[in-house]
Amino acid sequence: MTNHWIDIKNSDVILVMGSNAASNHPISMKWVQKAKDHGAKLISVDPRFTQTSAKADIYAPLRSGTDIAFLGGMIKYILDNNKYFADYVVNYTNAAFIVGDKFDFSDGLFAGYNAEKRAYDKALWAYKKDDKGIVAKDPSLKDPKSVFQLLKKHYDRYTPEKVSEITGTPVPDLMKVYEAYATTGVKDKAGTILYAMGWTQHTIGVQNIRAMSIIQLLCGNMGIAGGGVNALRGESNVQGSTDQALLFHILPGYLKAPVATQQTLEEYIAQSTPKSADPRSVNWWSNYPKYTVSLLKSFWGDKATKENGFGYAWLPKLDPGQNCSWLNLFDAMYDGKVKGFFSWGQNPACSGANANKTRKAMAKLDWLVNVNIFDNETGSFWKGPGMDPKKIKTEVFMLPAAASIEKEGSISNSGRWAQWRYKAVDAPGKAEPDGDIMYELMVKIKGLYKAGGKFPDPIMNLKWDYADEKGHFDAHRVAKAINGSFTQDVKIGDKQYKKGDQVPAFPLLQADGSTSCGNWIYCQSYNADGNNMARRKKDDPTGLGLFPGWSWAWPVNRRILYNRASVDLTGQPWNPARPVVKWADGKWVGDIPDGPAPPMADEKAGKYPFIMTAEGFGRLFGPGLNDGPFPEHYEPLECPVPKNLLSGQFVNPTIKIFKGEMDKHFTCDPRFPFVGTTYRVTEHWQTGIMTRWQSWLIEAQPQMFVEISHELAKLRGIKDGDKVKVSSARGELDCVAMVTTRFRPFQLGKLTVHEVGMPWCFGWITPKDGGESSNLLTPNVGDPNTMIPESKAFMVNVTKA
Amino acid sequence: MTMTRRDFLKISGAVGAGLAVSSLGIDMGPVKAYADELKKIDKMKTAKQSTTICPYCAVGCGLICSTDTKAKRIINIEGDPDHPINEGALCAKGAALFQTTADNTNRSTKVLYRAPNSDKWQEKSWDWALTEIAKRVKATRDANFIEKNAKGQVVNRLEAIAHVGSAALDNEECWPLVAMMRALGLVYIEHQARI
Amino acid sequence: MAEGYSILVDTSKCTACRGCQIACKQWNQLPGTKTQQLGTYENPKDLSFDTYKVVRYSEGANGDGKAYWNFFTEQCRHCLSPGCMAAAEKDEIVQDEKTGAVLFTPATKDLDFKATVEGCPYNVPRQNPKTKVLAKCTMCFDRITNNMIPACVKSCPTGAMAFGERDKVLDACKKRVEELKKTHPKAEAINPNDVRVIYIVTDDPKKYFKFAAGK
Repeated sequence: MTNHWIDIKNSDVILVMGSNAASNHPISMKWVQKAKDHGAKLISVDPRFTQTSAKADIYAPLRSGTDIAFLGGMIKYILDNNKYFADYVVNYTNAAFIVGDKFDFSDGLFAGYNAEKRAYDKALWAYKKDDKGIVAKDPSLKDPKSVFQLLKKHYDRYTPEKVSEITGTPVPDLMKVYEAYATTGVKDKAGTILYAMGWTQHTIGVQNIRAMSIIQLLCGNMGIAGGGVNALRGESNVQGSTDQALLFHILPGYLKAPVATQQTLEEYIAQSTPKSADPRSVNWWSNYPKYTVSLLKSFWGDKATKENGFGYAWLPKLDPGQNCSWLNLFDAMYDGKVKGFFSWGQNPACSGANANKTRKAMAKLDWLVNVNIFDNETGSFWKGPGMDPKKIKTEVFMLPAAASIEKEGSISNSGRWAQWRYKAVDAPGKAEPDGDIMYELMVKIKGLYKAGGKFPDPIMNLKWDYADEKGHFDAHRVAKAINGSFTQDVKIGDKQYKKGDQVPAFPLLQADGSTSCGNWIYCQSYNADGNNMARRKKDDPTGLGLFPGWSWAWPVNRRILYNRASVDLTGQPWNPARPVVKWADGKWVGDIPDGPAPPMADEKAGKYPFIMTAEGFGRLFGPGLNDGPFPEHYEPLECPVPKNLLSGQFVNPTIKIFKGEMDKHFTCDPRFPFVGTTYRVTEHWQTGIMTRWQSWLIEAQPQMFVEISHELAKLRGIKDGDKVKVSSARGELDCVAMVTTRFRPFQLGKLTVHEVGMPWCFGWITPKDGGESSNLLTPNVGDPNTMIPESKAFMVNVTKA
Repeated sequence: MTMTRRDFLKISGAVGAGLAVSSLGIDMGPVKAYADELKKIDKMKTAKQSTTICPYCAVGCGLICSTDTKAKRIINIEGDPDHPINEGALCAKGAALFQTTADNTNRSTKVLYRAPNSDKWQEKSWDWALTEIAKRVKATRDANFIEKNAKGQVVNRLEAIAHVGSAALDNEECWPLVAMMRALGLVYIEHQARI
Repeated sequence: MAEGYSILVDTSKCTACRGCQIACKQWNQLPGTKTQQLGTYENPKDLSFDTYKVVRYSEGANGDGKAYWNFFTEQCRHCLSPGCMAAAEKDEIVQDEKTGAVLFTPATKDLDFKATVEGCPYNVPRQNPKTKVLAKCTMCFDRITNNMIPACVKSCPTGAMAFGERDKVLDACKKRVEELKKTHPKAEAINPNDVRVIYIVTDDPKKYFKFAAGK
């Protein structure tokens, strides 16, 4: 989230789209309710009338996979009706930037498309720059090649009638939403967006969010209280685990995973560090070298020296373009290329799209290590339905882990608050905290490599002193290593730091090896002041609910990101009633300012507010994504309509389509005539592997079901409570039909399209009659930027069982 | 840094079921048996309280665990009234957190091993399991390590071992996992954020 | 008897997070029972000696074709003049003077269950088939006599449930109904003068649950 949970109370219009926050982030409704108490309006846009919709002032239905059409219509409405916050747009976004002459868009494709590679040459989307390398601008926003005019042109096609025919949303409902949301395009109104997997699990997932980011920038909602782009993340520490980079393409703190063409540290740093010619742009990522070197020091300690490139050679390198993300990982495993597998606190047998492929893939492994607190469909895959143990050679190790209350450490919520939590009791039986398990395992691996083996250097040189005197894993030692310390005596300014001192905050990190830091964005979390993540101060000086003394937020305890966009050029809040930061007496007061530089009215020292972009401006035009600088509506890979009404390009032209025997997909196929989608329920969590073992929760939500409309039920002769079969190109399952008024068929012009929905929290292991995972049905096709699978829009059939 | 006992849940009233009931003027007779059910509240008064954060969605609600230090068991888990985000409230999952404790006999408490082609688990020791896993990691890595790619560039990576997980682990566990897996040369490193 | 405590249940704020239903189980250490998916989110399908609180779901379409989904978190009303006590002779059922909580003691095993249930306007009392003891919500008597609020009220994130001194609750109830009437003309508090657990609804109580306003 750019903002945080409590901040929702400061909103005037709350759009919940791509999320059923009331069910899946229930406590968020506390803050939605508080906003409503002072007159805020709640809007719910969802294919299904959900628990959130039941509390909404405005509900609008839309067909799964058509969010860009919907939002594109809103962009057009805001521009056509001059509902945008002009001062904000001109000064803080790239609206005035001039785009180069090579940029074009025609019939669904941007300039530079290579059909064979299914990729764009993004160089054709570059800005026009002057001879100093500074982007050309037209502050009047009239130049036809200005981002603003290109934006207007792009969304001109998204008329309410066209949008309605794509999304199935009646035009009056569209207008209600557009009108209500556009009221936030003024300086004293705040609009927020709460979204989740309903937006990310699509082949146009990232562009869904980009579309809303454009709206938020147009309305001046970024950086203000009650505004922002707020991802409601799905797991207690998925924010933290992403920050720590348990993903193939990054290193801790969102540094890039190195590539084979970067053979030296110097090459890696040169290619990874963005440059800006504009002295008014902070371009914070220009500090990249400091964070890289400090990270390498945290991995290899004293073994990382200037002479050996701080151990850079010990990091694995990807080939250029090599993508090791989830869908590719299991594809490689299915092809027998993966021999050993750690499934650590995760249940891919039920969570991965096209779960049949995942389960079959695991049967090809030599060995599997499953760490979990309960038995699950992954560790026990070999005795699951359709599996013959006699034919499966995979060795499986089930390691019992401690539950959250049986160990100590921090987790980061969606609002970037890293909160420390404590151990109440020891884990039962032989269960151990995950930290102890990984610590011991690596000690043993190091022991084996002492005697020799392939390229032992990174293993033997890995700094691994994370146990206390008794040999137990010590979370505090790790937390301190993540924060970072000085590796030698260092003088910075007039302050003398000693070797071993914790680094106070990341502005003091160095690129010369004198600092070690496991994750630069967590630098300050555990410093000389102590464990800042464990703080419990209830002061709220601004009254906005920032609670700066409760836990610790990254970066540097900033609670609202981009908050220097919440003030005018002189540093005075756009809305004095909700002052996030304010420039007074030569300094900022309020939240930690997003860059300490003075306001932009200071011609010499003032800096642009969006410090994490190289240019310093919010991006209406986003030239870095794989599928285009402007979001464009494309149909899901499996969809119910014969063509895309907005262009000749049917589906996202840059997505990877798997072509193996397990990778089937069908569009407009009479065998799978209904749109299928998946979602969560309050009572279970993710695949249900923790919650299905709990009697209170399984009592409240006992069995797999599919929600279908009364109209569809009539069509298929199904009654509420009947047993039905739901099938897709990839699999099928039996479940109970929930016939409801909350799904209605979509009228798309002359076409009537039915949609059904299922939770994905069930699995064969328990309860015995509980049902299976809806991921047996979902397609393994992903967004071209993130490769997140399109679990939210695919085609199914529903028949009486 | 250990958590000292603090009264997050400010439970008043004296210890002793009899006292709590009779102080309200109710005839002891018929409610005496009911008073037995007050044992939980009495236990709560002497329990050690500690704070935790919910392990489910990413709102990050605060909870208080009450632990019977003699029996070494958690006896109650409910919301932390001081937490600024949830102010003591919890949804169904957080409210049920007690059922993730040892009270739930479904918890995995044994180290188990499944041999090739077998249809059953065998119980093993930690030392055996971690030793065997380490051996396999080394064997697979040594046999499949890629020092140079097809272009002759040094890549030092391992594609034959993959890792997924976990958004359910603490930051102080995620980070060492990353360090460990990168040190082994893994590139197939993924988790819940990707799906 | 206007003193004692009351619980206000403002269903307009309820999101069916089921925190209350589970918090009750957790506090009282009641077992989870075996249930089936019957085509609804509602489960278990009724109150029982193991379930003192159940969230009722009721959906449909209004006259304008718009869907509605009402949530009603059912529990004992802790009536001021408990109908369940009518069939009791001795102190099998106790009404606490200070708090107003209506409590079933173990001696309820000797009561005529059928008569007790019939005496209750809200169809609340349930029986343990083995021990014959009756069970229902206790207003978390052990908590409220020890400076804690009922477990269900505490767990509620939106403030749909609130607990306090009866006169204050009645005040808050009146204010809220007035406010809701501006946008929901059918808003009402159900039998606020007869019960301590007062539900506010914005539509016909029957569109929430068949016993919402009594049998």
